[in-house]
Amino acid sequence: MAKVFKPKNINNFKTIKRSPIKYRNVEKRIKDYKDVMEEWGLEEIRLQASRCQNCGVPFCHGYGCPISNYIPDWNELVYNGKWQEALELLHKTNNFPEITGRVCPALCEEACTLNMNFESVTIRNIELAIVEEGFKNGWIKPVIPKVRTGKKIAVIGSGPAGLAASMDLNRMGHSVTLFERDKKAGGFLRYGIPDFKLEKWIIDRRLQQMIMEGVEIKTDITVGKDISLQYLQKEYDAILFTIGCREPRDLRIEGRELEGIYLATEYLKQSNEKVSGIKIDDDKLITAKGKNVLVIGGGDTGADCVGTAIREGALSVSQWEILPKPPEKRAFETPWPMFAKKLRTSTSHEEGCDRRWLISTKKFIGNKRVEKVVAEEVEWVVDETGKLVMKIKEGTEFEHKAELVLLAMGFVHTEHSNIITESNIELDKMGNIKTDNYGYGRTNVQKIYAAGDSVRGPSLVVWAIHYGKMVASLIDRDLKGI
Amino acid sequence: MQKCILPPLYDRNYDHDACGVGFIASLNREASHKIIEMSLEAVLNLTHRGTVGGDANTGDGAGILFEKPHEFFIKNIIELKSFSFDDYGVAQVFFPNNEKAVTECLNVIEKCVKEEGLSIVSIRSVPTNDATLGMLAKKSQPIIKQIFVTKDKKPLTETRLYILRRVIENTILNNYKDYSEDFYICSFSINTIVYKGMLLASQIPEYFIDLKDPLIKSKFALFHQRYSTNTLPAWRLAQPFRYIAHNGEINTLRGNINKMKSREKIIKSDVFGDEIEKIFPVIIPGGSDSACFDNCFELLLHGGRSCEHSLMMMIPEAFGKKYYMSEDRRAFYEYYSSIMEPWDGPAAIVATDGKTICGTLDRNGLRPSRYLITKDGFIILASEIGVIDIKPENIKQLGRLQPGKMLSVNTETGKVSFDNEVKSNIIRSKPYRRWLEKNRIELTGLTTIYDIEKMDEKELLRGQQVFGWTKEMIKMHVVSMCHDGQEPVGSMGIDVPLAVLSEKPQVFFNYFKQLFAQVTNPPINPYRENLVMSLMSWLGKKGNILTEEETHCAQLKLTHPILTEEDLQRIIKSNNPYLKTKRISICIDKGADGKKLEKSLEELCNKAEESIKEGNTILILSDKDYDKNRMPIPSLLALSAIHHHLIRKGNREMCGIIVESGEVIETMHFALLLGYGANAICPYLAFKSIVQLKENGDISNDITLEEAIENYINAIKKGLLKTLSKMGISTIRSYQGAQIFEAIGVSEEIINKHFEGTASRIGGIGYDIISIEARERHKKGYPEHKEEPEPLDYGGVFHYRKDGEIHLWNPFTIAKLHEAVKKDSYQIFKEYSKLINEQQKNLYTLRGMFKFKESPIPIDEVEPVENIYKRFATGAMSFGSISKEAHESIAIAMNRIGGFSNTGEGGEDPERFKVLPNGDSKCSAIKQVASGRFGVTANYLANARELQIKIAQGAKPGEGGQLPGAKVDEVIAKTRFSTPGVTLISPPPHHDIYSIEDIAQLIFDLHCVNTEARVSVKLVSEVGVGTVAAGVAKGKSDMVLISGYDGGTGASPLTSIQHAGIPWELGLAETQQTLVANHLRDKIRVQVDGKLMTGRDVVIAAMLGAEEYGFATSVLITLGCCMLRKCHLNTCTMGIATQDIDMRRHFSGKPEYVVNFFKFIAMEIREYLARLGVRSIDELIGRTDLIEIDENSYHWKSKTLDFSKILYYEKNPEVDVRCTKNQDRMLETSLDYTLLLDKVKDAIEKKTKISFEVPIRNIHRAVGTMISGKIAKIYGENGLPEDTIKIKFNGTAGQSFGAFLCKGVTFELEGYANDYLGKGLSGGKIIVYPPKNADIEPGDNIVVGNTLLYGATRGEVYISGAAGERFAVRNSGAKAVIERVGDHGCEYMTGGIVVVLGPTGRNFAAGMSGGIAYVYDPDQLFDTYCNLELVDLVPVVEESDKNTLKEMITKHYEYTKSEKAKHILDRWDISIEKFVKVFPLDYKLALSRIKANEIANSDQIQVTEEVSNG
Repeated sequence: MAKVFKPKNINNFKTIKRSPIKYRNVEKRIKDYKDVMEEWGLEEIRLQASRCQNCGVPFCHGYGCPISNYIPDWNELVYNGKWQEALELLHKTNNFPEITGRVCPALCEEACTLNMNFESVTIRNIELAIVEEGFKNGWIKPVIPKVRTGKKIAVIGSGPAGLAASMDLNRMGHSVTLFERDKKAGGFLRYGIPDFKLEKWIIDRRLQQMIMEGVEIKTDITVGKDISLQYLQKEYDAILFTIGCREPRDLRIEGRELEGIYLATEYLKQSNEKVSGIKIDDDKLITAKGKNVLVIGGGDTGADCVGTAIREGALSVSQWEILPKPPEKRAFETPWPMFAKKLRTSTSHEEGCDRRWLISTKKFIGNKRVEKVVAEEVEWVVDETGKLVMKIKEGTEFEHKAELVLLAMGFVHTEHSNIITESNIELDKMGNIKTDNYGYGRTNVQKIYAAGDSVRGPSLVVWAIHYGKMVASLIDRDLKGI
Repeated sequence: MQKCILPPLYDRNYDHDACGVGFIASLNREASHKIIEMSLEAVLNLTHRGTVGGDANTGDGAGILFEKPHEFFIKNIIELKSFSFDDYGVAQVFFPNNEKAVTECLNVIEKCVKEEGLSIVSIRSVPTNDATLGMLAKKSQPIIKQIFVTKDKKPLTETRLYILRRVIENTILNNYKDYSEDFYICSFSINTIVYKGMLLASQIPEYFIDLKDPLIKSKFALFHQRYSTNTLPAWRLAQPFRYIAHNGEINTLRGNINKMKSREKIIKSDVFGDEIEKIFPVIIPGGSDSACFDNCFELLLHGGRSCEHSLMMMIPEAFGKKYYMSEDRRAFYEYYSSIMEPWDGPAAIVATDGKTICGTLDRNGLRPSRYLITKDGFIILASEIGVIDIKPENIKQLGRLQPGKMLSVNTETGKVSFDNEVKSNIIRSKPYRRWLEKNRIELTGLTTIYDIEKMDEKELLRGQQVFGWTKEMIKMHVVSMCHDGQEPVGSMGIDVPLAVLSEKPQVFFNYFKQLFAQVTNPPINPYRENLVMSLMSWLGKKGNILTEEETHCAQLKLTHPILTEEDLQRIIKSNNPYLKTKRISICIDKGADGKKLEKSLEELCNKAEESIKEGNTILILSDKDYDKNRMPIPSLLALSAIHHHLIRKGNREMCGIIVESGEVIETMHFALLLGYGANAICPYLAFKSIVQLKENGDISNDITLEEAIENYINAIKKGLLKTLSKMGISTIRSYQGAQIFEAIGVSEEIINKHFEGTASRIGGIGYDIISIEARERHKKGYPEHKEEPEPLDYGGVFHYRKDGEIHLWNPFTIAKLHEAVKKDSYQIFKEYSKLINEQQKNLYTLRGMFKFKESPIPIDEVEPVENIYKRFATGAMSFGSISKEAHESIAIAMNRIGGFSNTGEGGEDPERFKVLPNGDSKCSAIKQVASGRFGVTANYLANARELQIKIAQGAKPGEGGQLPGAKVDEVIAKTRFSTPGVTLISPPPHHDIYSIEDIAQLIFDLHCVNTEARVSVKLVSEVGVGTVAAGVAKGKSDMVLISGYDGGTGASPLTSIQHAGIPWELGLAETQQTLVANHLRDKIRVQVDGKLMTGRDVVIAAMLGAEEYGFATSVLITLGCCMLRKCHLNTCTMGIATQDIDMRRHFSGKPEYVVNFFKFIAMEIREYLARLGVRSIDELIGRTDLIEIDENSYHWKSKTLDFSKILYYEKNPEVDVRCTKNQDRMLETSLDYTLLLDKVKDAIEKKTKISFEVPIRNIHRAVGTMISGKIAKIYGENGLPEDTIKIKFNGTAGQSFGAFLCKGVTFELEGYANDYLGKGLSGGKIIVYPPKNADIEPGDNIVVGNTLLYGATRGEVYISGAAGERFAVRNSGAKAVIERVGDHGCEYMTGGIVVVLGPTGRNFAAGMSGGIAYVYDPDQLFDTYCNLELVDLVPVVEESDKNTLKEMITKHYEYTKSEKAKHILDRWDISIEKFVKVFPLDYKLALSRIKANEIANSDQIQVTEEVSNG
């Protein structure tokens, strides 16, 4: 691309309106599982990038972005048409911009100084445009380490933390074997996020690069079952646990045993498998088609369930949240540049969903299969110790018709599978792996490291990448004895 | 004599002095005692230009120099009876005050006299009477003796006596070091004698009984009254010296001394022959700048130059192209510029060799010098007019010395010669012009063709790594300079660690900070007064200053010191016998450790010396040969090591030095290299990088490579001029080697060896760390086991990056503080303050290394927060730099807590003086008086609790400012008394503060205008700030503010933000120590500011000596600022630092937030006080004993620091260590106070008309100011009806006559006036004309002084006569008629009307952006005197112009009866054609815009206009 330099107008942030990449028409998009985003034009991306003020203290980079993307710098490069340089800079901090560019809630945009009185720069879109420009032009090539250190590292779990760590460690010259218990690598990226937000070829494209760089990916192997941890401890110089935080929070109330009540993860995983062409046995099939669907839990996973259910042809979709409805605008208690507490409407919500807040589910009713849900309204009050407590509002009990109930109430801690229970790895109070740093680090067991959600608890893809990178450089230093 | 132990940060080398100076001579060739009496009267009447010290009766020094009183001596000394005048010489000597010392010193003298072939005739004890002396002076008084010497084996000559004196001085210094401080020879001459001491003017005749003897006669006398910053005993520093008396300050002293020293191998003269060694060192160590000047002057004099010639060499006038002068004269100056650098700085010098007396001014004319010639044959030249009472009818001529001009009196013939006559004899004494034409070498085609080879990208990157470049440096410095040819600008100060505190490797340049002028000498405006500035220099071997040979100028003349690679090649290949070059590599083995580095430097020095011996005249220090195995020594270190080595060896002047370095990028780097001895610099890697940047498209397509390089060089040139001017230095020739820097974090070893004379007060890095940092850089360029160099780091000094330099204001501290004040949560505030206070991991500041000795008490015993609030102030942020909303929020908040908010430099809307219905007030407690004087009216000043004189600001000390016209909207224009759309310029100096005695004057003016308010002076931390603070304390300021270098700003060059000034910890500690040592601390309060962010910061500030604390950036943060650093672009999206209405809408700050912040700070302070076991802040002041160094804060660099000087604790101070007394404001010396106020009481109260007459003298200063303050307080801006109070004065008015004079007051002065008449005129009327019976032509005589109407906002002035320099400077509304003005008339004017009925000086209308001037110009040559940058010259054709002009001139005639006015009016039709209208372009546009608006807005107006035009 031509290198054109023209100093930009410093008032662009004011004169050019924020204009994110458009979403496809709702009617059309709910008919498929393709990305909800439309194609974008490079010229528009360039102009959007020019809205960046290049702040003295860039909160996007310094506060918002967990991996400290050099946002102001690549914004400028993009404006000047230097896409390849921008790509290099982006890859310096982010292993998978094509993923964060699609699924990240964009803490950077929240922290953008324009987000205070104007509208933030469309940073996530720009990130995505940069990396896709890179793939399109063939600039993203395997980076094969010139020198091998001879050290071997086993990484367990191929979610974003495991992938990022594997990529970095391999490039540092170590030999990395990545173990994944599922059929394909990607972890929650693959089985937790629906295609309309992240098409799976995007993961494959990156995996391909990693394999060519020399990362050995072993799928369908459950460490602790198919292969023992002791074996790994013997064979490898370091073992990294990036096993995620996958123990879901359940709702143990009357009627939970009825059919038609599923954990969101079960539902999403199956749906993702279906979309990828895997045939599911009828007796195991979970489908929203023709059903009144109730999603319990108001978070992102819940929203993914909503979008999926709509695409499966649900009769109706409702989503309940026990907490109060957040304010339309940034709440007082989360001032800028924090990630604002405020009402967020995802693309799935736009596609048709009844959202309710302050609802506590009391019991499920049905005959073998769930038919109705009984619930009450609640309120949150401050008790004498100053703590917020929930109170049932008397006389508000109601029934809600639902043939499919999806529990999307978050995760409690990492799964306590064999490798955890048998390896004597110390856990923290929450039940996650205890390490010597927040979110990543050495465990109490020699040679064993952990990073990501399995340490910190459930969080964002971008944090997982961050901890993956951090742990990689820690392992590297330990192995090199620096 | 009492010896005092000085506190460690108080270095007497930084003492300053300035003063009143002058001479009186008889033109009748008659010696008389009257001359002595007159000169004593003159000094007495200059008393206000000096000061008293810690005790009221100790003066700073005064004295007189006159002819040897032969009659007196032969009568009183028997041995001399038969001697005639020329037969003997007399030494006036101070001896240490004890018997033994006197005996031993006398022995030395006797021995030396004998050895030198002379003999002593007699020794006389000088009778003194110390009854009236103050305690300090008395305790330190010397024994004074006169020693009479005559010929013996050798004949007696002045030169013989000079050599003898130097021999005696050196012998004492070498053999009796203890006495050398107090043994001092005031004069030793056949012709003259000096009587001086640490005296008040009035004490001279009391103390020296001799002087009353009528036999003491002279044909002339030089006199001097000193104002010094110190109060410690300093008898020998009193002036005059042996040949000169000086008012001013030599800024380039260090360089001048070094150069003089390096000449010692070169200077030869038949006069001295072999004996020349005896006079070395020429400059006697330990003297003041004036003393050093005297030393150099005497060498030139004895070497055979005349007084006049010597002065022309040492203080050459500016001879740039803009000066209209004879070619011979220009040639003379150029010739001498090749062998002698100017002694640069403000100076009024009077000098004599005993026969001739000269007076001269520096090129800027920054000191006043007025002369008067009487009909009965006397000439009196002095800092002020009116020092001696002369009857009007006896006056023959009145004049002033002009910038760079000279006057000389031959006492033997009685002839007075003026500039042209004096100089033309000298400039034609040799064919200087021909010599130059023949011998001067010029680099033709310098910077014309660019054929820079492109460097391989990878190799370039290696180079950049090896020399410590960062992406940020490239982007913010190089690219920016290439684009617009300007120094890059930024905002919001600096908050990164000092180089020595940063864990990141730093380039060696970063360990140095620029010094700058404050108070004791003025910075210069390099743009508007650039005619005095010069970057020209000479490269090559320097000639002997004592001879005149044509080949002296056989050197390479450079128009500026930046060389391209091609230039360098041309020099190397020139084949000219005078340009023999030798390249010396400054690269060393890449593994070199500290020891090796040290050794390599020694080798380099020797190599340089060898190269000179080989006959090379240009050394090229080059690091171009770095490679995989060789790394560069920091260029500054290598250069300075060699430079100082050559100085020590006495052969530095045998060669020129060019530095060819890849390390050099920005202005500071160039300035440092020049300041430490380089003559020229080739920044080859910068050029290579520009080629690469262009290639890569990082430089706009609109700019060619040639333009880019040209722009880069131009930006550096501008930057250099600015750096020079900040220090008040005009030419690169005297800046070169002047070492105007302070090191922070460099070890004593390195400084003493390689940077001798540079201040470095907290120790720091040595060879080891310098080599580690060099190795780290080299490693990044050539990593081990890696083919590719590492990519460049971002840097992150100005813009935060996570992996860049750490910042105090980072996303987390900002976010926490926002949250804390919004939620009113002390808990969150504590989280914030923890991030800043606990610096063991991230060391940001010097104070971060401190910890406390604790002995807790319960917190309820500590004083309440309300007490603490009174100590808080907010920084001076003008309405204009920040929005109305932000400005008012701060004022409301500070008034709520009883603290002080500050107007900043921009006036204040009088509406804000009223209290709001809810009890809030938007009135800023502190009204700032800055150099632009915008909106500084009597009313503004009267509505203040504090008046703050801003000398400098942390982010850009020594620089002016500019508010672009686009930002000046109607409201701002109104408060600043200007026109919307007109650019407003704040000059770098206050034009009424060129020296320390001037600030005393301004303080006095302000005390008069508002007798309730305290006056403060804002200084910026640098070495020597303590002595300036002492001077300010002696000038009766109530408070002094020491600002850290890190303070924020709306816009400032990046170089200044980063490299000028030092942290407040150092400046404050120095101030405290100096004030205590000088017995001044108890009389003045001390405030500190500069990135104060937490309660802990305040507690440390208190311990180091401050009783009040200023906050600025942090306050803006509480109001929503998040350090976009866009203040200079007007795009602040938080609505704070912007005037854009679209942005201001978004302002979301509230006074409550500011209140919360200060509440939290105070709460935190209380917690600390409790932990320290101290009940109030008062108890904590000066308690450095409670501070320890926290060893947890040591890292590889910070552990080299030594804080013992900062933490010095005076156990038994002789004065209180905090302010416990009030200053004596000396209001009783005011005529208003003693007389006028009573008389006009009724007129003020009842508005009844009054008029009367009073006599006036030059000692009556600021007359009318107190009256105006009182009127403004009652009637505000409106004042009284016109002519309510009319006072007629007879005599000579003192300084600041009619300052801030209010509407309704009319002053008529029949007589003369001094400087600053009508300063800040606020509506009053001033009429001046010479005495009716004086027989002089007013237009040809200087009737009034310099800098009139400075910052006037309204009012009228009519002066029949001529004025000095800078008439109507920064006038924004007054109307004035005058008959002739000096240089820089109407400078920076923004409004008002000035009519000049006669000639003007040079540079008229420089920086004039508004208002109108009409100049009577019959010769039509005015355009050659006018600075046409901002103005158009148009004929007076519009009817409205004609009417205005006629009306003003008519009034002028009515009031002053001016002949000139009459002449013009009588021939009006012809006269009007000869007037030129000076019309600023901005103003023209603004007026037409306003007019267009009015027409558009209202039909009514249109009609009226038509009517009036019809």
